[in-house]
Amino acid sequence: MEKVDCIVVGGGLAGLSAAYGLASEGLEVILIERGDYAGAKNVTGGRLYVSPIRDMYPELWEAAPFERPVTREFITLLNSGNATTIEFASDKFAAQPYQSYTVLRATLDLWLSEQVMEKGGMVITNQRVDELLMEDGKVIGIRAGEDEIGADMTIVAEGVLGLVSTKAGLRQKPSWKDHAVGFKETIELPQEVIESRWHLSPGQGAAHLFMGEVTKGMLGGGFLYTNKSSISFGIVLGMKDAKERADKIDVYTLLDDFKAHPHVAPLVAGGELLEYSAHVISEAGYAGIPQLYGDGYLLAGDTAGLALNQLYTVRGMDFAVASGYYAAKATLEAKQQGDLSAAGPMYEKMMRDTWVIKDLETAQHIPHFIENPRIFTHYPQSVGRIFERLFTLTSDPTEGIYHKVMGSVKQDFVNAKTVKELMGVRKI
Amino acid sequence: MKIIVPVKTNPDLQMIRIKNREPILEAVPYKVGDLDKNSVEAALQLQAAVGDTQVVALTIAEGNRKIKDTMKEVLAMGADEAYILSDDALTAADQAGKALALAKAIEKIGGADLIVFAEGSTDNYSGQMGPRVAELLALPEIGYAKKLTVADGKLTAERGMGDLIEVLESSLPAVVTVTSEINEPRIPTLMNIMKAGKKPTTEWTLGDVGLDAAAVAPQKAVLSNLAEEQQRKNVMIEGSAEEQCAALIDALIKDGVLEA
Repeated sequence: MEKVDCIVVGGGLAGLSAAYGLASEGLEVILIERGDYAGAKNVTGGRLYVSPIRDMYPELWEAAPFERPVTREFITLLNSGNATTIEFASDKFAAQPYQSYTVLRATLDLWLSEQVMEKGGMVITNQRVDELLMEDGKVIGIRAGEDEIGADMTIVAEGVLGLVSTKAGLRQKPSWKDHAVGFKETIELPQEVIESRWHLSPGQGAAHLFMGEVTKGMLGGGFLYTNKSSISFGIVLGMKDAKERADKIDVYTLLDDFKAHPHVAPLVAGGELLEYSAHVISEAGYAGIPQLYGDGYLLAGDTAGLALNQLYTVRGMDFAVASGYYAAKATLEAKQQGDLSAAGPMYEKMMRDTWVIKDLETAQHIPHFIENPRIFTHYPQSVGRIFERLFTLTSDPTEGIYHKVMGSVKQDFVNAKTVKELMGVRKI
Repeated sequence: MKIIVPVKTNPDLQMIRIKNREPILEAVPYKVGDLDKNSVEAALQLQAAVGDTQVVALTIAEGNRKIKDTMKEVLAMGADEAYILSDDALTAADQAGKALALAKAIEKIGGADLIVFAEGSTDNYSGQMGPRVAELLALPEIGYAKKLTVADGKLTAERGMGDLIEVLESSLPAVVTVTSEINEPRIPTLMNIMKAGKKPTTEWTLGDVGLDAAAVAPQKAVLSNLAEEQQRKNVMIEGSAEEQCAALIDALIKDGVLEA
């Protein structure tokens, strides 16, 4: 059996980051990707937070083909009769170094795979890894079709479904109950149109999240990210809510309804649909992280359950890059010490000692918190009611501002349920 | 025996979008043509059948800046080595220029016992390279073969001619073009992809094969390759989805497409 230093299963951000780190230090590394090219099958909503990962491979992030730096944040509470939008702009976000960028994975991942190859790593596409080769509980390589290749270390970054690692018993079969599905359209719009619709300076970008009517009360929300000359427009929806919903709503109609919503339609008007895509997202948070390593292998990226939905930010790609980076780092350090079995514990320690696992731990109560459907119905509606009352002027004598606002606030927020939920907020 | 397989790499047709009747080629990756994979497979099957045979792939870069990566697929399928003609002047060349460049490259490689072309390229499908190169090299040519055998220094080829099969025999060296029905091209295995990176690839410019830009300058210009525009009825139906459906059905009935 042919043997190499490292095999990386999967050409997403975690796998590419691992392969890049290993190849940079001269290890013989093979990355195996199922798609036609790295990025061909990879999907993101749209935004990569670069700040947390900037010090890992800084040369990459300076040159990477990002779409636009996000300099403006929009959050819209969308109801059937009204919409309240918060627009936030900050000089801090509009200046270098930018905190986050919108990205298209077909472009970004392909470019990263080229950087891996430039460092001497081998990226093999169009090949499916069928299983991990095990010997006495140790992962010793992979099998793809009839070919078997051995490796001292196998980094499994095969994505959220983790078919190969689950089959090998390295992690539990993921339950649909703690996953969401994200589906989106990439819609082409001229650059000037994007910049005028989201009040952007040339080249700068916006992130626009939507809550409320978008998911018809189900866990999730809408998102819109501005790329160079397209927008990524979609919905993230909790599978449990979608599946257990009494009226068995057709999920795909949600996106059409969202797009046709009177307060959303003008944002996407005139756009040409370029492509659809969808992706499964772990909503389990901290509780969904499996054992990160074992004999001969490390898990990284979505396969390691590294995704975080905090409603106002959705993160996954920065975790993927960081896990790939640390997987490579731990492997290299262990190899230098002459004991590769040290890589696993080192990897876990690096992940636990840094923001990677800490951020997930901090946010561990969020999955429970956002199970509450009132977040997606009652609260957006309440805010809408306040503003509707505030801005309404009729031929009746008007109330004082205080009464207008407090009337709604009392009605919608001063009640036992809300107080109880507020207590819950303190945990997140 | 030595078999040369000239192949074309073309922009991935599935990735091309059309805007204002123009293909958008920016950022579209190149692939080995689907039909060219049939010719490579045909050569590899002959190699297996005859034994002691070298399969050499040859291509023109035609603006494909990552041509070496693209050609790895042919090497991963099993070709033993690859030659790439890379020259800016060849991007604009027409079929005559490209055929001349291929013929000169084949001569420089040292000729072959058999040259296997696809019936045409997967993108433009002019189907001229096989016959043109045969003519330039003064070799016999059999077009559109759907079965090939080589035995006793002779090539036997079958051609589908509607309801009969024509069997032709030729001395070697010869040129043959093969149809897509000749075989099912193999998908490279992981191990073969790994080995492909180590196989020799030689890059030549026009000067290396004794040509210059003038020699391959296009002798014809394409004025337009657009399909004829047809006059449509331009009926716009407006209203809600339900209203549009009803109006569309009425219109189709009126035109006799549907029965009332």
